[in-house]
Amino acid sequence: MLVPLKDSWSLVLGVSSGMGRATARALAAEGGNVIGIHLDTADGQEAAGELAAELRERGVAAHFFNRNVAAAATRADLVPRIAELTGDAGLRVVVHSVAFGSLLPFVPPPTATDVPTATVTAVPDARGGGTITARQMAMTLDVMAHSLVYWTQDLLAAGLLRAGAKIYALTSAGSSLVIPSYGAVSAAKSALESHVRQLAVELAPRGVAVNALRPGTTITPAFRKIPGSAQFDDACLARNPHRRLTRPEDVGEAIVVLSASDSSWVTGNVIGVDGGELIGT
Amino acid sequence: MTRNLEIAVDREELRALVADTLERSPAEVTDDADFVGELDLDSLMALEIVVRLEKRYRIRVKDEEFASITSLNGIYDLLTAKLGGT
Repeated sequence: MLVPLKDSWSLVLGVSSGMGRATARALAAEGGNVIGIHLDTADGQEAAGELAAELRERGVAAHFFNRNVAAAATRADLVPRIAELTGDAGLRVVVHSVAFGSLLPFVPPPTATDVPTATVTAVPDARGGGTITARQMAMTLDVMAHSLVYWTQDLLAAGLLRAGAKIYALTSAGSSLVIPSYGAVSAAKSALESHVRQLAVELAPRGVAVNALRPGTTITPAFRKIPGSAQFDDACLARNPHRRLTRPEDVGEAIVVLSASDSSWVTGNVIGVDGGELIGT
Repeated sequence: MTRNLEIAVDREELRALVADTLERSPAEVTDDADFVGELDLDSLMALEIVVRLEKRYRIRVKDEEFASITSLNGIYDLLTAKLGGT
């Protein structure tokens, strides 16, 4: 049965940028209230504040928290707060759109010069350069994949995920492709897709649907941090039968459409939201 | 002279903030313990520390200043410099 999103509550992890931001806007446009979590220094914090104000202008509630989504303390503090905010309604939609990982090769290239190094955020690694360390690998997997499981556990325990609720995790085609310096993030996306399948099966008896969304190549701040990303653009544009790249708004709209039903029959999938980019030639 | 001068930097409060972020006891966060080498700081924790410092002390930390997030002494020096000295 189709059910309107008006007056529903959604939780967006990674609300301040890219897909999370566009999804918050799309949900608010349907009259849905948004709780957002993000981790940003001053400029990003201001931008997030402006986004929250913009959502409120649409007549919905918007509560943003500048906290680390991967920290247990964040869940301990905010899950009770989310329960307070949503009251009897619980959460209709949970979106995991968290980009924070180490973009480093696993082994040095044959020539030591021109080693591509970067992190997804603007924050340089404390001991940057070279090849990925165990700590960087664990951090990337924890924040970009495992945090989905821990949030789901705690939200469920708090009674916030009821029949009809939808959980979405943002993955990428890079989960099964090899992209320079993307190894840890690729592993995180593979783990994320695996977690989605496991959660979908474990939550099916409760009527909660869990899916991964796989957007096509989208120009977001996180994408721009991938070494060599500028060279992807033209190739992906040429391959996309729509002759344009994916926009964050495409993802927001997909989430709204998929969340319009109280059915949990669409679950456990990796759903392409790419205009056919991956099957284009 | 900055408008933040009235906010003094309490080293013990700072130690507690760092210990909380790193999920360590305050005793482990000695003044010169190396965050990366001894306390398992990663870049996400570094960002979380900066976000908390910005909120608590009403400052802005530039990307290049993340290099100061190496020890409690490093943060203390960064803060006192930003807040106009002690």
